Amino acid sequence: MSRTQLLDADQAPITAQPYFADGDPGPIVAALATVPELLGPTLNFVGAALGPGSVTTRAKELAILRTSVLQGCRYCIHAHTAVALDVGLSTDEIRALRGDIALEDAFPEVSEQTLIGWIDALAGATGAVPDDVWIAARAHWPEHALVELTVTVGATMLLNRLATGLDLPTSDQVTARLRTEGFV
Amino acid sequence: MTESTIAEAIASGEMPGRVWIYSNYHCNLACSYCLTESSPRSERRELTAEQMLTIAIEAKSLGFTGIGVTGGEPMLLPWLPETVAAMAAHLPVILLTNGTLLGGDRFERAAPLAHPDIAVQISLDSHQPDLNDMARGPDNFDKVVAVVPRLIVSGVRVRIATTTAGPLDSPTLDPLRALVRSLGVRDEDHIVRPIVRRGRADERDLGVVAVARNIPSELTIAADGAFWGSFGPTVRAGRLDTDLLLTRTILPLSIPASTLLATLRGLPEGADASLGIR
Repeated sequence: MSRTQLLDADQAPITAQPYFADGDPGPIVAALATVPELLGPTLNFVGAALGPGSVTTRAKELAILRTSVLQGCRYCIHAHTAVALDVGLSTDEIRALRGDIALEDAFPEVSEQTLIGWIDALAGATGAVPDDVWIAARAHWPEHALVELTVTVGATMLLNRLATGLDLPTSDQVTARLRTEGFV
Repeated sequence: MTESTIAEAIASGEMPGRVWIYSNYHCNLACSYCLTESSPRSERRELTAEQMLTIAIEAKSLGFTGIGVTGGEPMLLPWLPETVAAMAAHLPVILLTNGTLLGGDRFERAAPLAHPDIAVQISLDSHQPDLNDMARGPDNFDKVVAVVPRLIVSGVRVRIATTTAGPLDSPTLDPLRALVRSLGVRDEDHIVRPIVRRGRADERDLGVVAVARNIPSELTIAADGAFWGSFGPTVRAGRLDTDLLLTRTILPLSIPASTLLATLRGLPEGADASLGIR
């Protein structure tokens, strides 16, 4: 049960109604719609940060799911476990990102290990990121890719806090999918 | 969107020139068709005097041409008459009140309202006291009929608003029109409007169903945010209606004003106020 009212199409503010035109837009939009002037800018930012960019969809989804795990966001872990499956991450890779099995076993590529190290330093700790983590990641990823993925991690953390703070409910559709795939 | 864009939109008639302000939501009455479910027990949702004056000042600089103050019952706020007078130094103000808190010894509270740029709009729904009081509360008719001539004599411009479930041009309203005239109110200052099916009226199946294109798109500011039209910030079953919410930000006024204009420009052709709602 969400801590805040999740608006439906009848109560959607006049400026938010396009987001409800094709049916239930999901809990994040339904919650953000209570402050309609934030809805468009937030979705535009999150869409740009999490959507297609110069790095691969696989790398972005790896960053999103790993960040959500580190932040302990139940809603985002559920939602992005389903998305990760959709973009081709294996069950073992997802289990590793979720902390169920060893990362090194699921991600043998050094480049992805360094990327996970960068994400863990950003989303799993506070303070400065150690130089050796940056240097290791830079050996495999161009600087602009790490900037882009840093924004992806930051945007994910925004969603993590939103979904966790407001206790947004996992959708029935996602729950059913995770049950089918053996994740719940 | 620049401030001059807003001013040009108002000057051209693209955006209405009046800003409505809900000063508060609580009321000494509990009318049957109230849009905001106001009553003595309602959550107050008050704006401050400073906020209201700032809205008037910023509204003028943005090119708006008038202010309307409504509630709830604004006269429940002790500082309201003086604040309205201060606002009128910047833009003309219409103050909506039930008029029942200006009787007897409290009449002197109306003194600041005797101002060339202030009009006081008081509700009266029937020439028959029992019918009027059925909707608006005991003794409402007598209190209104007593206070209106006193206000006029003291220099206050008074408008009367009649809210009806029937046709706006019905001959059954003629006796009421005559009564209002006899109180000293000019015909052009007698407003007849339909019950809008929102708030308590919706719960009781009263009035006309209105969507955004039926409601004059006057920028409306309440403690809960900025809305499309004065029929926007309604309350149903204790919960604020958000379908006409524009922004939660109310100041600076340029933010909700810009949002209203952008929303207006996205509406289909033909949007108007065809139901006579005002």
